[in-house]
Amino acid sequence: MEIVLSLAIGILAGAGVWLVLRPRTFQVIIGLTLFSYAVNLFIFAMGRLKVDAAPILAAGQAADPAHYTDPLPQALVLTAIVIGFATTALFLVVLLASRGLTGTDHVDGTEPDS
Amino acid sequence: MSHQAALIVLILLPFAGSVAAAWVPTNARNAEAGLSALIGLASLVLVVLLYPAFAHGGIVRDEIAWIPQLGLNFVLRMDGFAWLMSLLVTGIGLLVVLYARYYMAPADPAARFYSSLLAFMGAMLGIVLAGNLIQLVFFWELTGLISFLLIGYWHHNAAACDGARMSLIVTEAGGLCLFAGVLIIGHIVGSYDLDRVLASGDVIRQHPLYRPVLILVLLGALTKSAQFPFHFWLPHAMAAPTPVSAYLHSATLVMAGVFLLVLLWPVLGGTDDWLWFVGATGLITFVLGAYLAIFQQDLKGILAYSTISHLGLVTLLIGLGSPLALVAAIFHMMNHATFKASLFMAAGIIDHETGTRDIRRLSGLWSFLPVTATLAMVAAAAMAGVPLLNGFLSKEMFFAETIETHSGSVIDHALPYIVTIAAALSVAYSLRFIRDVFFGPAPQDLPQTPHEPPIWMRLPVALLVLACIVVGIIPGRTAGPLLETASHAVLGADVPAYSLVLWHGFTFPFLMSMIALIGGIVVYFCLHTYLATSEEGPPLLRHVRGQRIFNSVMAALSLRWARALETFLGTRRLQPQLRIVLCIALVAATWPLVLHGLEPGRRPLSVFDPAFAILWISGAACAIAAAGLAKYHRLAALILTGGAGLAVCVTFVWLSAPDLALTQLLVETVTTVLLLLGLRWLPKRIETIGTAEARSPMVVGRRIRDFAIAVVAGAGLSVIAYAVMTRARPGGIAPYFLEHAYTQGGGRNVVNVILVDFRGFDTLGEITVLGVVALTVFALLRRFRPAPDSADVPQQQRLQNSPDDADIQRNIGDTVIDYLTVPAVIMQLLFPFIAMFAVYLFMRGHDLPGGGFAAGIALAAGLILQYMAGGIRWVEKRLTVQPLRWMAAGLLLAAATGMGAWLFSHPFLTSHTAHPVLPVIGMMPLASAMFFDLGVFLLVVGAATLILIALAHQTIRTQRASQERADTTAAGDE
Amino acid sequence: MTDWIQHLVVVPIILPLIAGAVMMIIDERCRALKATIGIVSILGMIATAAILMVLASLRADGMAFIPSGVYRIGNWPAPFGIVLVADRLSALMLLLTGLLALAVAVFALARWHRAGSYFHALLQFLLMGLNGAFLTGDLFNLFVFFELLLVASYGLVLHGSGVTRVKAGMHYIVVNLVASLLFLIGVSLIYGVTGTLNMADLARRIPLIPAGDRMLFESGAAVLGIVFLIKAGMWPLSFWLPTAYAAAAPPVAAVFAIMSKVGLYVVLRLSLLLFGAGSGALARWGHEWLLFGGMATITFGAIGVLASQDMRRLAGFSVLVSSGTVLAAVGIGGTGVIGGALFYLVSSTLAIAAFYLLIELAERGRQPGADVLAVTIEAFGRDDEEEPDEAEGGVVVPAVMAMLGISFLACALLLSGSPPLSGFIAKFILLSALLKSPGSATAAVVPGLSWAFLILVIVSGLMTLIGMIRAGMRVFWTPIERMQPRVRVMEMVPVLFLLLGCTILTVQAGAVMRYMEMAARSLYTPQDYIHGVLTSSAGQQPPYEGGRP
Repeated sequence: MEIVLSLAIGILAGAGVWLVLRPRTFQVIIGLTLFSYAVNLFIFAMGRLKVDAAPILAAGQAADPAHYTDPLPQALVLTAIVIGFATTALFLVVLLASRGLTGTDHVDGTEPDS
Repeated sequence: MSHQAALIVLILLPFAGSVAAAWVPTNARNAEAGLSALIGLASLVLVVLLYPAFAHGGIVRDEIAWIPQLGLNFVLRMDGFAWLMSLLVTGIGLLVVLYARYYMAPADPAARFYSSLLAFMGAMLGIVLAGNLIQLVFFWELTGLISFLLIGYWHHNAAACDGARMSLIVTEAGGLCLFAGVLIIGHIVGSYDLDRVLASGDVIRQHPLYRPVLILVLLGALTKSAQFPFHFWLPHAMAAPTPVSAYLHSATLVMAGVFLLVLLWPVLGGTDDWLWFVGATGLITFVLGAYLAIFQQDLKGILAYSTISHLGLVTLLIGLGSPLALVAAIFHMMNHATFKASLFMAAGIIDHETGTRDIRRLSGLWSFLPVTATLAMVAAAAMAGVPLLNGFLSKEMFFAETIETHSGSVIDHALPYIVTIAAALSVAYSLRFIRDVFFGPAPQDLPQTPHEPPIWMRLPVALLVLACIVVGIIPGRTAGPLLETASHAVLGADVPAYSLVLWHGFTFPFLMSMIALIGGIVVYFCLHTYLATSEEGPPLLRHVRGQRIFNSVMAALSLRWARALETFLGTRRLQPQLRIVLCIALVAATWPLVLHGLEPGRRPLSVFDPAFAILWISGAACAIAAAGLAKYHRLAALILTGGAGLAVCVTFVWLSAPDLALTQLLVETVTTVLLLLGLRWLPKRIETIGTAEARSPMVVGRRIRDFAIAVVAGAGLSVIAYAVMTRARPGGIAPYFLEHAYTQGGGRNVVNVILVDFRGFDTLGEITVLGVVALTVFALLRRFRPAPDSADVPQQQRLQNSPDDADIQRNIGDTVIDYLTVPAVIMQLLFPFIAMFAVYLFMRGHDLPGGGFAAGIALAAGLILQYMAGGIRWVEKRLTVQPLRWMAAGLLLAAATGMGAWLFSHPFLTSHTAHPVLPVIGMMPLASAMFFDLGVFLLVVGAATLILIALAHQTIRTQRASQERADTTAAGDE
Repeated sequence: MTDWIQHLVVVPIILPLIAGAVMMIIDERCRALKATIGIVSILGMIATAAILMVLASLRADGMAFIPSGVYRIGNWPAPFGIVLVADRLSALMLLLTGLLALAVAVFALARWHRAGSYFHALLQFLLMGLNGAFLTGDLFNLFVFFELLLVASYGLVLHGSGVTRVKAGMHYIVVNLVASLLFLIGVSLIYGVTGTLNMADLARRIPLIPAGDRMLFESGAAVLGIVFLIKAGMWPLSFWLPTAYAAAAPPVAAVFAIMSKVGLYVVLRLSLLLFGAGSGALARWGHEWLLFGGMATITFGAIGVLASQDMRRLAGFSVLVSSGTVLAAVGIGGTGVIGGALFYLVSSTLAIAAFYLLIELAERGRQPGADVLAVTIEAFGRDDEEEPDEAEGGVVVPAVMAMLGISFLACALLLSGSPPLSGFIAKFILLSALLKSPGSATAAVVPGLSWAFLILVIVSGLMTLIGMIRAGMRVFWTPIERMQPRVRVMEMVPVLFLLLGCTILTVQAGAVMRYMEMAARSLYTPQDYIHGVLTSSAGQQPPYEGGRP
């Protein structure tokens, strides 16, 4: 599983980075989305993997950490997801505004001369 | 009053005056002049009264703590030499103020002039009285700055601006060198205090850093005193009003450099370096200045170059470095100040009366201004070193010193001859100044016919000239004591024997003076026909203009090269920036790994499941495809991204993170809707694959490079992730949460407890972020203006509306409504259920996956569904959402919950828990965290809805806008 | 009694939150109310910061009854929950932020808060983010507050909209979004290796990291460092900065003067806390890179200052110069140098802010109908209700050109570090400490790099002076007839206020430096910080009250 997951992270990140370096705003926003998927998985992976060990305590008996996966990275990922959503929304609007004002969807707001 | 107090008053007085002068109405010349004169007089009196303290050596010190821990205190220190300088500064200052009252035109803003002048006086006194080298540098730079303002006083003429800027840059550069030098001295001595520095001359001279120090200090001093090769700024400073020239460029500012040299002579002097650097500079400047002065056609130009030359003379004396030479130097500083100031004023009068300073146009002014002429002639004679005048005495001492052989080198033998020639040249220009201006035929076509200026304008000149004569005739009783005190202060006990008398008999020095006088006269008469017609500047060096070189260098350095460098070192485009950022991050991240090597850890891998692999094969395919298609097939790319997102979501489920899965799914949905709403405003793009543009090596190269970066980045991240995942969990803080979530957090869903309790503060920040984004989006979209080509109704809609357009009974959009009837109804029916679902999610949050955020998003999604189904107008007729209210309520509720803990004197966000049993829902944990979560819920609903609605509204707004635009144009056509 | 003092630590974060939230509900049209709320909250922040400052000083003077500046949010014991720490450095930054914000908020009253929606609310949220970043003692919480201040700054940079702003804003946003993702990678990697997020706990664990895992920690720390250096504007990560600041509305640019300082603050804090002498194999890790990077930044900034005709860009580049100077100082290290760097940081921040405000006033006369009008007309589209109107009353500054000229001169002196203002003092303190710094003075020879830094600082000062003088002469000494700009007292006062701050720094340099040196010293004794944070929980009951099921 670890191998698959790390490969997945790698591919998502790669695709994201590639798109982030593209000249069109839409490519960049998709790139950022993919990149943030990769980052979320990465944060999650930092808590190591555990199958069927959701950090939901069974009622009653005291919790034994060994039986559960690390909850903290999950909390961090949740925060990251939310903030990611927020920034994506913001960036979307900015790119629309830029498109509206400059008439192009190039990240520099002007079509390259070449 | 005590001497210390007197010093403080002395330094404060001019600055206070300057501030006061700034407030006097700008056109009240008399008030200004009166005030300034009072200040000048008061300071002068103060200085004179202080004399007894120094008559027989002695130092007055006053120390005020400033930054004691860094050895920087505000120390005022006056010794005999400083006293002499203060006398010059205040005395000449007073005279200049008087003179300026009648020189300046009524139109000139008086406030600016007098306040700067007084400030300058203060700064100059600051230099002279500095008892601390840093403090000296402080006032040193200040003088430079104020002189910049004074030179640029008439800033409407370009020459003034140039001159001002040049003088500022040259002297400030020098000042910074001095600053560095002083810092190093402090480093060597361990203190900046002048007395301690003066005490430790040997330490400094022995120190390996002696030469750098010397060079830096000299750079400071020589730029200030306009010594070769930095002399060029002074003549251009003549664009200043003449009182300024008389004050700054003869008596004070330029004197600061030589003052510093004399001051630091005990510390830095007495070495070969000193002799060669200082002496050589002085000699060259002395000769060059005299030579250049002859060929000036501007009265003030002559004076400027002669000043340079005379300061060179002083520098040369200091360079020679013998005690007697120093005495001579100080004496000549006094004398030069007196006669040069008076000459400048005289030149000013001539300019003021005739309207020109061009010596070729002036002649025979004797008959017009006899008094001024007489005064000017005496002063010029003093400058030339004619007997019975003070210039003669100091020059004779100077000659005597040059005859003294020092190291016995060639220069030493040549020195007497060289200086005699230079002296002859100075006689020549002095003579020219007198004869060409005051004698000869009456002047033709002067701008105005000259007549004697008011007595008050001549008085300052007269006083100074009087000083020249008195000192010249009875030096022993007038200048003697002052010189004694000053040189005693500098040389300490070993003041050499020297005799200040008019007549030493037929000595070599006297002979040299005579030769110089006669030679000068000869030179003048040889040249004067040529000079009468020649243009500005000396025959040989006419085209070597320091200023022109300076300006071109400045232009090159500060504009062309700087521009080139900036564009070379930086970029204004986005892609290169991102590329750099990512590459640097990549290198930074991988460097340690490469450096120390990285091997996978020993933690046993979790069991491999092919289904998971398949999931990610498809997920990866989606991601890559999205990357490929994002340019030309946005919709496809968007869907594919959603696919990748789903893979992520499943992964979360798989790897026991239900909360994440849930949230991911919901956010996924909303984001997609958002982007779909956005797509509509983006420009159409025609595929250019296969065109020349796409195939050009440039583009291909760029693609390959970016591809490489992407691959490396991905690989790096996965390697690191793998390395960490295969390592044992560090004994971190994680177990704590599992152990205390229920017992102290009162919830069984640990993740949720962390979010709302353990790390509730993060959540608070996070929802604020969401709120701010919503606010920004809202603010931005109020300004939103679509690009013209996507403003009007898109193709698809027109297609849908075409039947409506055709049929009059139907109004626009009916067809769509018809098509969507069924789904619309379903969606509308769905809404209550979604709302219920949201509540459910919220309630269970603390114990099972869910929570405020998920609930909020869910509800927002529900609302959006309504918009999709019924259209904006339909929805807003029925339910009015006020997102801003929701958001504010959410934030305030969260904050209030947090602050509630204060009542129980617990820190912010401390939670309280109870587990009441409610009907239906059953036993449910009621934690104060719940209210916090409610706040989260409210805000999320508000924010998400606000963003989506704001975006959705654009269609209506812009169509209305374009509609109106169309109408107005139509109206215009009719 | 000490109770409420305890809670003061969190006030600088809660106050703007509430103020901002309240402003959301208030209608856009009653700006006066919003402005009042905003200014009141800012005054509150300033007061709090001042008290915290005093407390921090008293505490250091060994007064036991003073509560420790450590505040445990949610009353959870230290490494597990989130802690806020208000020591000298944090208090100082809080105060600086507050003063800047006050000036900006007042300045905006004249016209700029009318250039778009929610200026004051966004400003409050920005302040919340800044204060949080200065106070928090938790890495991930730091991320959250960074995001908050960034998001607010996105909103502010686009305040007033218009082509240039949107273009520049786009670059600013994208670069920082990427930076945020890197931030997450760094933090989570560090968590993965050390298993903690609390800075003090982290510092304690670093020496214990097994050699086999250290490289992973290093790469995490490196990524994190890059992020902070992007914020701090280190070359070559800083090209977005001058453009974005130049495009932003003047008050926004002015308040941004503190934004780059957040990066500096974190670099200073973490590099000394995590990689101090006590951290074994990682002692002084990465410091030399700070030095090199800082010097490169100074060079680039100075060149930019010379190269730029436009005053706004010039100001942007002087931001870089100041960042570079502080970075290099941190790289060199030593309490004396750090103390000087702090003094310099305060002085240059105030100066740059004043300069940004001043530019707009000075150039207002040059292009009649300042650019804002053009922008708004072109960008506002149909709702013109928010166009800044000149017509509204307000006392106009007399002798305005003289006023502006003097203020400009002051800014030039401050930025170029020439006498008589605090710029010179700062430079002197920095350099003299450099020549005395323990690294060098012990053996009476100063290392070559210190010399290079000294020369760089002095030369960059000269270059700045040249650039400033040229710009100033073009604006104030041009012979062409220019209309006198209409400047309201309300707009002039903030500038003078900031400059007054610099004057006080100059006169009171001794007292200020004592504070700075103490701050630097406490940075150099991280064990106190660590001990303070980790033992803050000792002897307190767990928060849980109320019945179990």
